[in-house]
Amino acid sequence: MEKRYLILDDGTSFLGEGFGDLSNTTGELIINTDLNGYQEAITDPVYHNQIIMFTQPSIGNIGTNPQNYESIITSAKGIVVNQREDINQSPLKAQNLSEFLRERQIPGIWKIDTRALRQYVQSHHVQKASIVNTNDEHAFDQLTAAVLSNQQIQAVATPKPYLVPGSGMTIVVIDLGLRESIIRQLAKLNCNIIVVPWDTDFKGIISLAPEGVVISSGPGAPEEIDNTVLETIIKLQPCLPLFGIGLGHELIAIANGATVTKMASGVHGNHHPIRQIITNDILYADQSQTYQIERQSIDNNRLIITFVDLINNSIQGLRSRDYPTFSVQFSPEGTSGIDSGLDLFAEFTESILVRRRLNNNEFGI
Amino acid sequence: MQDEKVVLDSMSMQRALTRITYEIIEKNKGVGNLILIGIKTRGVYLADRIANRLKKLENTDVPVIKLDITKYRDDQQSVGKVGNVAENTVDITNKNVILVDDVLYTGRTVRAALAAINEIGRPKRINLAVLVDRGHRELPIRADFVGKNIPSSKQETIKVLVSEIDNRDGVEIKQP
Repeated sequence: MEKRYLILDDGTSFLGEGFGDLSNTTGELIINTDLNGYQEAITDPVYHNQIIMFTQPSIGNIGTNPQNYESIITSAKGIVVNQREDINQSPLKAQNLSEFLRERQIPGIWKIDTRALRQYVQSHHVQKASIVNTNDEHAFDQLTAAVLSNQQIQAVATPKPYLVPGSGMTIVVIDLGLRESIIRQLAKLNCNIIVVPWDTDFKGIISLAPEGVVISSGPGAPEEIDNTVLETIIKLQPCLPLFGIGLGHELIAIANGATVTKMASGVHGNHHPIRQIITNDILYADQSQTYQIERQSIDNNRLIITFVDLINNSIQGLRSRDYPTFSVQFSPEGTSGIDSGLDLFAEFTESILVRRRLNNNEFGI
Repeated sequence: MQDEKVVLDSMSMQRALTRITYEIIEKNKGVGNLILIGIKTRGVYLADRIANRLKKLENTDVPVIKLDITKYRDDQQSVGKVGNVAENTVDITNKNVILVDDVLYTGRTVRAALAAINEIGRPKRINLAVLVDRGHRELPIRADFVGKNIPSSKQETIKVLVSEIDNRDGVEIKQP
């Protein structure tokens, strides 16, 4: 077995064993507390340039399969697990976890007590980590010197527009590094989906004649994104129904005057209860959140808070008072088996349908 | 044998009411000057639910008036009926009224409701919110907030169920 080290930017190192790809890797260390959905996490572009550490002690129990991709090109930098399993139970043509990682050149390290490591990482504010063969001074120097790119969206979002044809209403999705499950949910509702590059401007979107616009999730810091996206949101708001997810939600908040800050420790998992304020319903959904909206920055004359995380009190949903714009921080797609029964995609398309009929006076006399 | 089909389940009905509530806030620019008037029977329960949602979002109590339109109906049975149109009177002068009903069909119920509202005051504006719009209007009336458009034939019956009196939520369509 291949001995390997997980080294942290505060100088500590942990001995484990390598699996998957055996190259050296460096990235931002992210703690994922999902009990299921490891394949979705590994393929989610939100984790671009990041090393994902799973606190669920046993990873790989159901292998991987071609239906669970969140993106075809994976961009996570590595994974850290306690117990690795190379089981392959899927009846579909599938790979076990090690094969999956090896083929995609993602290094993994196991036999690490990830639950203890989580506590350490959170109390010591660890940011960066590497998976390496030797934990010598040179390796730490390399880790300290590593500068992580802030061009994450450019790295994962589509450079060209493409169409996912459907027989229903035309929806434009602004790709900031989207999860495929966003497309799957819209496709389920027969939408004619046009995915456009992240920097498509207002004119470019309007020329496609959509009835609604989704602003996708994606990696990176909202404040580092080129202003094009914000300008597009500000111009689109009065014209068309908008639905923001994750990073898209953060940008909608900023476009409406709120400020966004980096959390001391992010939330990556699906165990936080989230309250839908309007009904008092509690739901659980996938969260992959590193930034949060400052509560006191919310202008109550412009935005309504619609969802709140009950563990850390962070804002999980917003709605514009003036425009048909709404957004959520969590993943409303129900990807990793969490189905809250809350169907925000249906709410989005229903509101478009009703507006269309009212505007055209299709119904009635 | 009658064929019964669920066209809106409980979840979708909740979602429609939630969406209507958000749209009311959006169109009305807040809830300060708002009064809900529910048309008996089911319109009242739907109005209560919208008021409940507004309370949770805005922490404001929006009054709900229960409207009895019997004496303003234009069909045979109601000729000569007397009595109050509302049990709980709230001053509606210069208020923005949202009239709430379960199904919008010919428009005659809404016309009767407008006449009944006239009896209790003169609001600034009246908007109409319905859970279901099934078409076949006989009067020039349209809804401002619609839960779901359900194209129907005149032979079909559309029934809105509310858990308060029907033990469950939903909308069903019955073939003749």
